[in-house]
Amino acid sequence: MNPNWTWLRQSVALIALIAVWELLADKGYFNPLYMPAPSGVAVALFQLFVQGTIWPHIIATFSAALGGLAVGLAVGSLLGTAAALLPLLRELLEPVMISLNAVPRVVLAPLFVIWFGIGIGSKVALSFILVAVLIFFTVFTGIRQVDRRLVERVVTLGGGRIALLREVYVPSVVGWVLGNLKVAVGFAFTGAVVGEFVAATKGLGYLLSFAQSTYNSALMLALVLLIMVFVLAIFGLTGLLERRLLRWRG
Amino acid sequence: MLRANALALSYGATPILEGVSLEVPSGKFVSLIGPSGSGKSTLLRAIIGLQAPSSGTIETDVLSGDIGMLFQDDALLPWRTAEENVALGLRLKGVDKGTAIASARLWLTRLGLHGLSERFPRQLSGGQRKRVALAQVLAREPRLLLMDEPFASLDAIVRARVTQDLLRLVESRGISVLLVTHDLEEALALSDVVYLLSQGPRARISGRYDVPLPRPRDPIRARAHPDFAPLLQRLWNDLSREVGGRAA
Repeated sequence: MNPNWTWLRQSVALIALIAVWELLADKGYFNPLYMPAPSGVAVALFQLFVQGTIWPHIIATFSAALGGLAVGLAVGSLLGTAAALLPLLRELLEPVMISLNAVPRVVLAPLFVIWFGIGIGSKVALSFILVAVLIFFTVFTGIRQVDRRLVERVVTLGGGRIALLREVYVPSVVGWVLGNLKVAVGFAFTGAVVGEFVAATKGLGYLLSFAQSTYNSALMLALVLLIMVFVLAIFGLTGLLERRLLRWRG
Repeated sequence: MLRANALALSYGATPILEGVSLEVPSGKFVSLIGPSGSGKSTLLRAIIGLQAPSSGTIETDVLSGDIGMLFQDDALLPWRTAEENVALGLRLKGVDKGTAIASARLWLTRLGLHGLSERFPRQLSGGQRKRVALAQVLAREPRLLLMDEPFASLDAIVRARVTQDLLRLVESRGISVLLVTHDLEEALALSDVVYLLSQGPRARISGRYDVPLPRPRDPIRARAHPDFAPLLQRLWNDLSREVGGRAA
């Protein structure tokens, strides 16, 4: 098979699947309460944008997800670097992070609602905790696995701690972080949507919760599709960033 | 000048070197040979400060910024281009970025890498990467150069060319060199003095050989000098005795 035509084969398969689904739904094989036709989902999606009611929800979810992602990246990187370079901090932080990593961190959502209220704070906090733990281990492992030969090279050229950080550790860890950035983006949106699902007055998670309570499967599928499209768009942007920053890898 | 006096070094409870003394006079090319695992690289790492000796002293009149070290593997930063790698050595010495880059390009051209300065290490061949590493060290204009089998991974032709370039630069600039190598012919062709390190553990200097070949020297033609073959034979016999002594 010609790998250049992979996208075409995938598109044809997707269109065929949607066509079969539409046909079966039209013939009454699916109960629309549980499995609406693709056209029904498209109408629900169209109405959300035509009526303009979706925008405040999109803005709320994106603000929470991107806020949590930004703070999680910054704090996770900082703590990961500090723990990898300072043994005392490693002793204190590693068990905490291992414990946080051992549980599904979305269970903290109700607690964050009590702590930070039903506004954006609790959603940012959940996104943050999901991203920060992932990035902590990414940076921590990345620094500890830095090529010792490169460290010795810079030391013998007269480089001190700052030079080592700038020339060896940071570029080395950037590769690791970019490799996990897509997972981090997924985590950030999971945190925001789950947080909104638990308690909120707006956001895509809130809309999902509303659709569930009104048995509106078409709206639910439309929202899932919308979240997928947005996250894939961000994946595309992170891919561009990865190609730009890691061009030395070829 | 570099002088190691009664140097001892251990890895934990395992003694590697014991009572090692050698001297690299100013402007001289000195080689250190010895059986595998005897501690040659360890001695070099102690001299450059990457490993602390348990006793003994290292004296030198060369400032630490004027000592260059060339490792067995090129250890170039993979995320830096060839010229950035070379310039890094200068920038860490306090040279401003513009001057460092200009000097890096000059050195890359001097070592036959014109037109390759913006390539990343993965885009270069083994020989080209080795030349970049050499340019990185030489651009800093070291007064003392320590080399740990720097050309071991290269094929014979590339190795001969890089070695010729290196020797020409070392001779013209009066750089003192301490080279660790497995290659007896290379040691004799390049050096003024060759030291033999005994079989470890507790390795020590078991032989010192003056190489009476004239300078400037061509490392290929030097092999045809009448003094070369007898000296090589002597070195071979002594090294074989060291290795054989352990086996027995």
